[in-house]
Amino acid sequence: MNLFGVMGISASGLNAQRTRAEVVAGNMANAESTRTPEGGPYQRKEVVLQSQGPSSFRMQLAGAASQPGGATSGVAVRSIVTDTATPIMRYEPSHPDADSNGFVAYPNINPVLEMTDLMGAARGYQMNASAVQAAKQMIQQSIELLK
Amino acid sequence: MSMIDTPLMQRLSRFLDATASRSGVIANNIANIDTPGYHARDLDFRSQLTSIMNSDAQTTPPRVVEVRGLTERPDGNNVNMDREGLALAQTQLQFQTSVALMRAEIHRLSQAIHEGSSQ
Repeated sequence: MNLFGVMGISASGLNAQRTRAEVVAGNMANAESTRTPEGGPYQRKEVVLQSQGPSSFRMQLAGAASQPGGATSGVAVRSIVTDTATPIMRYEPSHPDADSNGFVAYPNINPVLEMTDLMGAARGYQMNASAVQAAKQMIQQSIELLK
Repeated sequence: MSMIDTPLMQRLSRFLDATASRSGVIANNIANIDTPGYHARDLDFRSQLTSIMNSDAQTTPPRVVEVRGLTERPDGNNVNMDREGLALAQTQLQFQTSVALMRAEIHRLSQAIHEGSSQ
């Protein structure tokens, strides 16, 4: 594995954590949205992370030679899924989206859950950023050899 | 054996390769810190080091093994942030030491070229 490959792995981690933070921000922003293009209230979104398989032939070869698990190359957002929890019903008869009984369906979003997820994403991002920093320093040190 | 390619240089370059590989494995663990079901991996560093120190021929490719004795979270992931941070710092310092030794060796050679003068 070369050092630029290390940076690539950390970059995939940065990307995944940022996507996670974006999805959380979207959930928080839409905590009170009663209308969506698909109809009905907004539904909470969640990211699904998956560890990536070896990307190149060389890594495949390295992975085959070393068991178990082999070499992998970072992480990827597999998909963004929708949480199908039932919406929260609030009695607001004057609301334009109220049903015949006067109840309005609000998104089932728990701010505590979202904030914890955001903290996790921020910490994960930090961790990956320091791994990039480490790889960068190692590359710089190798360049020093030329001086 | 050429002048530049001393046994020390050969071993140091293999050691550099090993530390670079290990930093890749650690970076992968860090990237997968929130992937459900992921298990932390590491290089079998000790056996790698032994093979670097003992053999003059090409060393075997580094063996990646799952780390044992880590606590698994409810989502099946067992990456420990502290462990990875520490391992990353360790690899970085090992790399730095190796580069410093290499520089010293190159410096020694260039001194010999310049007939022992300080320039």
